[in-house]
Amino acid sequence: MIPRELKPIADSVIESKLPNGLKVRLVPSSAVPTISYYTFFNVGSRNERPGITGISHLFEHMMFNGAKKYGPGAFDRTLESNGGSSNAYTSNDMTVYYEDFMSEALEKVIDLESDRMRSLAVTPKMLKSEREVVIEERRLRVDNEIAGMLDEELGTLVWKAHPYRWPVIGWMRDIEAITREDCLDYFRTYYAPNNATLYIAGDFDPKEAMKLIKKYYGGIKPGPKAPPEVLDAEPEQRGERRAEVQHPAQAPTLMIAWRGPAARDADTLVLDVLQYALSVGQSSRLIKSLVYEKEACVSLSVDWSWRKDPGAFVAAMELKPGADPKQAEAALYAELEAVMSSGITERELQKAKNNLAAQLLRELGTNNGRAHALGHYESLLGSWRDGLALASRYEQVTAAHVKEVATRYLKPSRRSVVTLVPTAEVEAAA
Amino acid sequence: MKKNGSGLSLRPLKLPPREVTTLGNGLTVTVVKRGPLPLVAVRYITKAGSVFDPKDRFGLAELCARLLRRGAGGQSAEALNESVDYVGASLAAWAGEDSFGVGLTTPGAHFEPMFEVLARIAQQPDFPEAEVALTQRRTLAQLSNGLDDPDDVADRALVTAMFGDHPYGHETIGTRAHVEAMKREDVVAYHRERVVPHGAQLFVVGDAEPAKVLKTVERLFGGWKGHTEAQVSLPEWSKPARAGEVVIIDKPEQTQVQVRIGARGVYRGHPDHFPLTAMNCVLGGSFTSRLMQEIRVKRGLTYGAGSHFDQMATAGGFIVSTFTKTETVTELLDVALAEVAKMKAKGPKAPELESAKRYISGLYPARLETNESIAAAMADMALFGLPDDWVDQYRERIAAVTPQLAAEAAAKHLPDRDRTIVLVGNAAQLAPQVERYGRVSVIPVAAIE
Repeated sequence: MIPRELKPIADSVIESKLPNGLKVRLVPSSAVPTISYYTFFNVGSRNERPGITGISHLFEHMMFNGAKKYGPGAFDRTLESNGGSSNAYTSNDMTVYYEDFMSEALEKVIDLESDRMRSLAVTPKMLKSEREVVIEERRLRVDNEIAGMLDEELGTLVWKAHPYRWPVIGWMRDIEAITREDCLDYFRTYYAPNNATLYIAGDFDPKEAMKLIKKYYGGIKPGPKAPPEVLDAEPEQRGERRAEVQHPAQAPTLMIAWRGPAARDADTLVLDVLQYALSVGQSSRLIKSLVYEKEACVSLSVDWSWRKDPGAFVAAMELKPGADPKQAEAALYAELEAVMSSGITERELQKAKNNLAAQLLRELGTNNGRAHALGHYESLLGSWRDGLALASRYEQVTAAHVKEVATRYLKPSRRSVVTLVPTAEVEAAA
Repeated sequence: MKKNGSGLSLRPLKLPPREVTTLGNGLTVTVVKRGPLPLVAVRYITKAGSVFDPKDRFGLAELCARLLRRGAGGQSAEALNESVDYVGASLAAWAGEDSFGVGLTTPGAHFEPMFEVLARIAQQPDFPEAEVALTQRRTLAQLSNGLDDPDDVADRALVTAMFGDHPYGHETIGTRAHVEAMKREDVVAYHRERVVPHGAQLFVVGDAEPAKVLKTVERLFGGWKGHTEAQVSLPEWSKPARAGEVVIIDKPEQTQVQVRIGARGVYRGHPDHFPLTAMNCVLGGSFTSRLMQEIRVKRGLTYGAGSHFDQMATAGGFIVSTFTKTETVTELLDVALAEVAKMKAKGPKAPELESAKRYISGLYPARLETNESIAAAMADMALFGLPDDWVDQYRERIAAVTPQLAAEAAAKHLPDRDRTIVLVGNAAQLAPQVERYGRVSVIPVAAIE
């Protein structure tokens, strides 16, 4: 059930599907004279294979490098000179493009987006240059950043067979080796209109917008065949997995993952509640106990990102210089065991639900937030309505559910632990 | 709809209607009723901040901000946190260079009790000894661990290379030695002298009845007393402390170099604000900007490159920010410096400027979409003494920038030799490459803590 305060948003959504399979969702509102325009492609690093890891992300970059009507550089030049900006991101499960712009530029943006969906050009010259940019991005986010380094190591521990094993940005050697043919094949398979959904939120006339969408996207041919299904061949985990990363650093860091369910599994929402009860707000269990009372770590976060296939519930702890990571790890497990044996209180449960509801409300406060949130929900839950109804679904979660789910998922035999062990000295030549 | 000079149609954009009143204690209160979502944002802001940190207490304003929620009006940190977290509100205090603020976002149904919590932490923080010590320990750990983040290290080093001994010459978080030395009395004194109603501003924006809000404000804030001594005038600052020099922060494990070029910019609200904003958008303020195109798109040297004017109340910096692998640092520096020099000499071309103006104007309304962003825009206007029509006329003023005005602003404000270069990376490999940009000094990363 969609809560009363979100009814106006739910009622405003206009849905349709073009004959070529492109799904369109319009979310008009006149609060500010701008529009956010999202294109969700149902492809991410889970659709890759060894040898071309990182192609989803590299390809995302290539989408800004020219198509038939708007050549190299023209996409951003045209958009910016029409009062707009664009960006994109790639995740394990999807690739998402968005533009924010003044309302008057809607037709131009539809023209730009449909042009690159219809006729992207992957030239050897642009591929060469963009590959260098991505390599520099990898150096920034992984090779020279501790969290990136640990996250990459953790993925290879948690998953042995599933494509979630490799980082979204890809292995360095794969990024260097991806060919133009790989890119073209990728485009034909995954960038067809029947593999995409548009979300447009903001100040526009929906009838006029729909007419323009039909005009510009209508002629794009659907993909020859449906993209291949991703096989989840992940074997059962039979005990704790551990790894160390040695790197110069001021202090140790811990990253610990437990294998979780897929986004559409009913347990996912219970884990949302658990995540909030554990780590959102200074009064949450782990922050209060481990950061402020025991000072076991300087900062702590718990990430439970929904994924299409079974994902991971991850806790990260940044310690003080000189601190013992074994002690911090033990302190964390003691807190989690308390949840598994005694559950959380009714007040903690209600607090988590209140925060989840408030968070949802806040993200719906802007055009960009609305378009993104609804598209995200449709991609991972199957429908945007399920997203708007989340608050009432969370209300169904009981303290007993939380205890039961914590007990089932946070077992030692489901966990993988990566420790950053600071090294003092560095070899002079990197 | 109307057309402005650049042929761009602009629907009028205005701040929503607001009720403004000043309490007997000198606190100015602004209330805006705004829907449709049942949320309310509150922001208290006063002219304090890290520029008023005593010479041996860098980080004091920030420490004070971090402590407000850790005990107030006899309530423990635990009790305060529990009441805020329970309803799904968020409450934060912060120190900037020129300002000290407390902000709240809350579901409308819980506005009154949450507003009471904000009033309590702003007016009656207890600063319990144990919490002061805990917050010091946490701040020190954060200072240490920040040394592992090359981006953070570069920004920290740049502040010192730019402002030296000037009150803007330290980051709000402060330095290890000073944070270690702080005592509870320091924080108490800072709060008493600087966090006051007189001359301060309070904004309430969202789903709440103005008449009722004003009554509550009078009840919660009417009895608050306090007055700041005459504002200290800050010393003049004309150029970077390390002008013409290269400062390398040594992190030998890095395979990538963080690069900053810093020079004198302008204070917030400078008469050249609009020409500079439009000109900088062409130089390094968007994806199609010259720096991004030349460094990233054409040469593949980086993932990100940009420039901006960092504007504070009485001074500001012009900063180019980018990164590249160790082997290509001089190629990147040459391109970046040449682009700045070219812009200084000739200004932007007319079509580039037109595009930049449309880009800025088209996206400007999105800055006023939420209760928080409206409160923040009004707070900035008050804090920096910007004209009342700052928001309402922003896009018109951008539209009025001509190529000549932009070129004049570039010639006047972009740097030539008086710039400082900060590099974070492997000093042994970097130092021999960069001598031609000026006197090189190498600083171990631990020294900037």
